[in-house]
Order: sequence, then structure tokens, then C-alpha cells
Amino acid sequence: MTPALPDILRGNFLSLAIPAPPESQGEFMAGRVGVIALLSLLAAQEVERGTAARVWENAAIAAVLADAAEAYGVQYAGVAEITAADLSLAALDAANAALRRGLIALHEAVEAARDLPRHRAIVALYGEMAQARRLDLPPLPAR
Amino acid sequence: MSLAAGLESYLTDLWGAPTTVANLSRIPGGASRETYRLDAQVAGETGGQTHRMILRRDPTGSLIETDRRLEFLAYRTVHGHVPVPQAIALEQDGRALERPFFLMERIDGGVVASPFTFDPYGAHAQALGERFFTILGKLAALDHDGTPIRQAAELPAAQDCWRIALDHWAGVIEADEQHPQPIVRAAIRHLRRNPPPPAQRVALVHGDYRTGNFMHDGAGRILAILDWEMAHLGDPIEDLGWAFDPLWNHFDETRVDGMIPRERAIAIWEAASGLRVDPEALAWWSLFNAVKGQAIWTSAAKEYRAGGFTDPILAISGWYTARRHDQILAERLSALEGF
Repeated sequence: MTPALPDILRGNFLSLAIPAPPESQGEFMAGRVGVIALLSLLAAQEVERGTAARVWENAAIAAVLADAAEAYGVQYAGVAEITAADLSLAALDAANAALRRGLIALHEAVEAARDLPRHRAIVALYGEMAQARRLDLPPLPAR
Repeated sequence: MSLAAGLESYLTDLWGAPTTVANLSRIPGGASRETYRLDAQVAGETGGQTHRMILRRDPTGSLIETDRRLEFLAYRTVHGHVPVPQAIALEQDGRALERPFFLMERIDGGVVASPFTFDPYGAHAQALGERFFTILGKLAALDHDGTPIRQAAELPAAQDCWRIALDHWAGVIEADEQHPQPIVRAAIRHLRRNPPPPAQRVALVHGDYRTGNFMHDGAGRILAILDWEMAHLGDPIEDLGWAFDPLWNHFDETRVDGMIPRERAIAIWEAASGLRVDPEALAWWSLFNAVKGQAIWTSAAKEYRAGGFTDPILAISGWYTARRHDQILAERLSALEGF
């Protein structure tokens, strides 16, 4: 996914460290600090859940691709074997990008074949992927 | 030259009299353009009148590329029909203030809710919701023949509105995507396989009609509909689908935009527009709008990177809202019967 957690945290630093022109102080800067505070809260969630979500998603996509290889082509078995070089977010995301590209291609093939059971399985996986990657924004009080 | 000095020079030329600028201050909101409030005073003007103004200047990086002339002409088109500030001047070259911009009158004393707050409208939610969807219905009914927007906006055929809109936003994802997005791509394919009925009429579509894009007086009255940067001519159900997106519900699944129940909103819109909401069309445009949202957030993520990670609004758009729309898209896809 993009932006990555290090991008967000570096960005928060830069947003506060770079001096703003006089006309961008006051209300605008107060709003900006509020958004940075929210980003920090969401970053904590990503630290807690982000690695586990990526490890799970990569394994789940690989399983779907491997299962489809017999019916849809050996190329999907090849993609399913892609693994991250290590547990860093960058390595997990690189593997995830390759696996997701394989999943997109498989889903297109499944739709072309009108294979409804496998289509439903892929759509169910999308729901689980979105849930695993979710960020929970707290209901903030209105001003 | 400072922004204030640039404005003084520009307004002096525009009005043909020495003009001073005071209280220049950037304000939050309007994520696709830099937005400033300012007071302009013209020397020798009778009564010493202060012109309260808003400056909308092109940013160095933005949520989404939009056409400032279209936005300016949209304000001019709906003024008098929909509550909006009056558009004053448009400058498309960047000479005066380094980047293109336009100026409009400022409406003071209002409140604009953040979409991420809980129950921002309180006891006035019902009144605001009824007015909000009445205004949207009136916009759908507006005869745009011969109006300023027709100088710049293409007029699609009724049966092409969906395809033009989908091609545009699918193209944005194709151009700006930095990490593969299987969920939104599945939604795009579904939309292409299952087109909606033709638009009942080709209307002026606001393009970003939702909570957080209007100003109210805190007592149940809408003062202005804002942020017309995505205005275009198309199927008016598009605006309803965007307004009904769960992203804008203020954590309340029983009310759209945190104001009124969805069925009530539809009834009000139908009465004001003279049109009917076809459930099949609304379902298509609702899924479409989740795609459109994801396209906007995809562009925001790209711009966040291109701009050196310095705009936190782009960060939260490209990160939190992108993931929220993946959830919404996945839920909508799982609710569909077949292909």
C-alpha cells in the first residue's frame, strides 16, 4: 500500500519542521497539526497490525493462486511461490505487489470463465484483505 | 514578492485604484486548491468599504488535478439558484500570484463540519439534511443551456454519462497507482459489465457534494455550497451516490451525511428535481463513487510522494480514506449476486 509508514512519519516531521509563511500560520497551521495528530494515532495502529496483516495477506493470496493453478495455468503456481526476503515492510510490500498482480490476473481469468464459486472466493478474500488492512479512526468531537 | 503584495498589485490593476490587503490568512479545507481569506480596501472608495474575499490558488500538489476555469464557471452558473459565494475574477496565467487563481466573495459567520467528527449537526441535522437534498435536487433540475458552464464543460449524451465518468476515474487509477489494487479493479470491471440506465437528464453535477463541503449557520440554515472543482455535466444520480457514500456518514449508519435517513433524502431530492431515483441506477452510481473515491485517494498518495511528504492532508487521503474505501468496495462487491 502507499504511502508507507516511514513516509508518513518522515512527512509528519517535515510538515512541522519546515517554517510556514506568515499567512499560513494560525487557523491553517492548527488544522494541519490536528491532521498530523490523527496520522500519529493511525501510525500506532499500523505499527501494531501492519506486519501481521501483510504476512497474512501474502499467504492468503498465495494459497488462492496455488489452488487455481491446475485450472487456470501453471503461471499462478509460480507467482504463489513469491515470498518476502525478510519481515521488513518494504520486503513484504514488494512481495505483496507481485502477489496482488497475480491475483488481479487470476480474477480476470475467473470472470472470463464465469467461474462463480471461485469468483465468490476471491471477493470474500478482498473483504478479509480490506478488514486486515483497516485503520480505525476514532469519532472525533465536533467543534 | 509576498502573496499579500502580489494581491495588492493585482487588485489595484483590476479595480483601477490603489488597493491594500489586510488579514490575509490561509484556511483549512479546499484540499485541491490553496484557500485564503483576505480583506481588500480600495483607496478613496466611498464609505471605506471592505471587500471580504476568498482566494483559491492552484497548489503545487493536489488531491486531484481539476480545472479552475470549470470551477469558476460553475460558481457563476449556479449563483442565484444555489447558495454560493459570488465569483469575482479568474486568472489562468501564473504571473500575478505565481500560480493560477480565482477570487470570490467571502461569506462570514458560518461553520463547515469535518467529515471525521461525530454528530456535527446536532439538533439541526434534520433541517440541514432537508435543505441539503433540496438544493441538490434543484441543481439537478437547473437548465444549463446558455449558462457559463457550457463555455467549458462538454455535454455528454444521456447514454454516455456513465462511460465517460468511469473511463475518466479508471484512467486516473491506471496513471497514478503505485501499488496494485485488486479490489477497485474488480469493481471497475463489474461496472463495465453492468452499465446503468441512461441519465434521465444531463445535469450540472457538483462532483463532490457531501458533508464538509457546505457552510451552515449553526442554526439549521445552509449558507453556501462549496468546492465546485469537480463540477461537470453528467447524470445527476452521480451526486446522490457520492453523498450517500458511507465515508461521509459521521459514524452513523442510519443517516446519510450525518443528517437524515437515506429514504427521506431520496424523497426530498425527487420532489425538488422532478426526477425519479431508479434503484438500479443508484446502485451503479454508488459503486462507481467508491471507485471514484479510490481514484482520488490514489492520486493523493502519488502527490504526497511527489511533494516530498509535506502535506498531511494528502497523507491521510492517500492512506486512511484509501483503506476505508477498500472496505466499502469489498462490502459492495460481496453483496452482488453474480458477475
